[in-house]
Amino acid sequence: MQKAYSNKAVILSLVLPGLITFVFAILAPICLSVYYGFTDFSGMGEATFIGFANYKELFHDKAFGRSILNSLFLAIGFVFVQHPLAIITAALLERMGRKAEGFFRCVYFLPNVISVAVIAYLWKFIYDPNFGLLNNIVKLFGGKGDINWLGSGNAIWSVLIVLIWHGFGWGMLIYYTGIKNIDPTLYEAAAIDGADNKITFLKITLPLMKPVIEVNVTLAVISALKQMETVYLLTNGGPGNETQFMANYLYKQAFSSFRYGYGNSISVVFVIICVFATAVLNRIFKEREA
Amino acid sequence: MKMKKAIAALLTATMIFGMTGCGNKTEAPAAKDAGTEVTSDAAEEAAADTANDTASGEAVTIKVFSNLPDRTSGQGLVEQTLFNMYMEENPNVTIEVEALDDEAYKTKFKAYAAGSSMPDLVSVWGQPGFIDEVIDAGVLAELNEADYADYGFINGSLDGFSKDGKLYGLPRNTDVMCFFYNQKMFDDNGWSVPQTYDELLALGEQINAAGIIPVAMDGADKWPLAIYITDAMEKIDGSGVMAKTHDAIANADFSDPTFKQAAEMLKGSADARLFQNGFEVTDYGTAQNLFTNGQAAMFYMGSWEMSMANNQDIPAEIRDNIRVFLMPTVEGGKGKATDISAWNGGGHSVTANAANKEEAIKLLNYMYRPDGWTKIAWENGICMSAQDFSAYATGNETEVQKQFMDVIAGATNMSGTPINDMGTSDFKTQCEDLTQELSIGSVTAEEYLEGLAGACAQ
Repeated sequence: MQKAYSNKAVILSLVLPGLITFVFAILAPICLSVYYGFTDFSGMGEATFIGFANYKELFHDKAFGRSILNSLFLAIGFVFVQHPLAIITAALLERMGRKAEGFFRCVYFLPNVISVAVIAYLWKFIYDPNFGLLNNIVKLFGGKGDINWLGSGNAIWSVLIVLIWHGFGWGMLIYYTGIKNIDPTLYEAAAIDGADNKITFLKITLPLMKPVIEVNVTLAVISALKQMETVYLLTNGGPGNETQFMANYLYKQAFSSFRYGYGNSISVVFVIICVFATAVLNRIFKEREA
Repeated sequence: MKMKKAIAALLTATMIFGMTGCGNKTEAPAAKDAGTEVTSDAAEEAAADTANDTASGEAVTIKVFSNLPDRTSGQGLVEQTLFNMYMEENPNVTIEVEALDDEAYKTKFKAYAAGSSMPDLVSVWGQPGFIDEVIDAGVLAELNEADYADYGFINGSLDGFSKDGKLYGLPRNTDVMCFFYNQKMFDDNGWSVPQTYDELLALGEQINAAGIIPVAMDGADKWPLAIYITDAMEKIDGSGVMAKTHDAIANADFSDPTFKQAAEMLKGSADARLFQNGFEVTDYGTAQNLFTNGQAAMFYMGSWEMSMANNQDIPAEIRDNIRVFLMPTVEGGKGKATDISAWNGGGHSVTANAANKEEAIKLLNYMYRPDGWTKIAWENGICMSAQDFSAYATGNETEVQKQFMDVIAGATNMSGTPINDMGTSDFKTQCEDLTQELSIGSVTAEEYLEGLAGACAQ
């Protein structure tokens, strides 16, 4: 048996399935994507090589600029609103103990269990200007209740709220497990030294959670950049391109306008931005460690 | 050593089987029991006189790719009923249907066209935005136009499916854009059907004052707004709207005053609160619900929604009172009340590389013979075909159907393909985005026209 594992043919046959999958399902499409990014391919017929024309156009494309801004906006929302809330909730949850802990953990995680399509339609009805829940609540408090929540000017905020609310459970759950893994003797020692809740949270919980926070923030930024399905179903980038995000814009160009070439050039820029963002985050975290 | 080789061979074999296992997927044949409610007396009649030339032939499978995923109601049911009838008459033929919604359909259609396994019979749109590229790529089979001389196609309805004098498909419907309205609500409140555009705006004001939404508009999907522009152009200009739009797109020049006036009309209608609050984020289903729940007095949509009058899910008091009127005339406009915004959109084609081309054409011809699609669709109040359907008037038509019959019979001019479908796919998305932005005031009429011109240039 030992010998079978050192046989190169055996090793190859074991590695090959993974390798083939990687080459044909990941590497080749990426290379093709880069190639098509330089053409005016429409999905049918001939693809003509047009050099950097797509990238030049992309540089001046207002809708694309808007979608990058929106993605950054969402990333900021995730990092500075969703995650602090998630950490605090996780810390509070951990203190609750027994049944309440399990119950609230469930409640907060629930939005993540529901399918994105259902979430999007749920919020569409909540936001509906004519019969939506939100406007009816406004009416209850004496307002006029004719706010167009997904209309021009309001739309991006409404979308951000849904996205932050939807992703909250994941972040919280990871932080919660992180906190659970902290050695309880540390808290006991702190309590003996007379530290109050605030101090234990700031001096023990947060520093020990650092690796978890790093992973979570990186994941959050990437998911903000990749955001597609909720936006697609909720507003599809509208009105106009106000709530456009990169992935959704890519889809729109490639599959509604049938500009595969242009769509591919967006995807190339998209990948570069994602890699760049991850590298920057890693650098930041590393510097802090040093 | 032998042991090693044996293990290596075994592992390799496992891997190969494992990988091929993910490959082939077979499509389920069409549900033969779908579609039971449609009158299919035509089936029996037809069974008698259509010669069963293929009945004794060898087994044939025709693959159909359709944009009608709902096979149990509406047009999808008509299509499925025809397939079932055909399979009954030709026992050797099996029809496999794959159906997707419009957007998903178009995407997969491109994927099919790029590969080599194109289905035999496909849904197409006889509009430049879709069919030009497809014909140029050589995907569709040419049909013999003379074969259809006695099929009763309405004059000009084959034009959208033809290029350079060759016919590539057959149109399914005649679509007319209109305002559906609730007659009872109108009577109860003393409102009357507007005869001019100004009256329409005045009516909108009255309806708003009564706390009701005047017109339910599907603005999120954007294309109804673009059709509103074409509808307005038809009333401003009267004739040659399609030719004018065609030239404007070809020359990237929208300076003709008709475009500006039509754009201002859409903006004016939105500003006058003719549409519901937040119409730009209201999708098709929600807009329709506003109307069918009685929250809106009117619904701006196409004649394909005439089946609302038969839809048991809609409360009877609303369902039975649905009537239609067309975009009223514009003061100073050249268009008459009988110049209508109508076109022949969807249809079917046979693909050039179809495995069973002859059989697929036979099926196509079977579907489009006058007592096929035309008869079944009309008798069940589903839609108007692109063929002469007057012979199938039963006298049991809904009021809406009767109104549409009169509209078609009295039409003096038809607008043809709406503006958003006149250019490339890219023009379509840009035109629709711009039209939505125009309607909510994000762009002015001038910027709108500049944007349209820019969309052609690319």
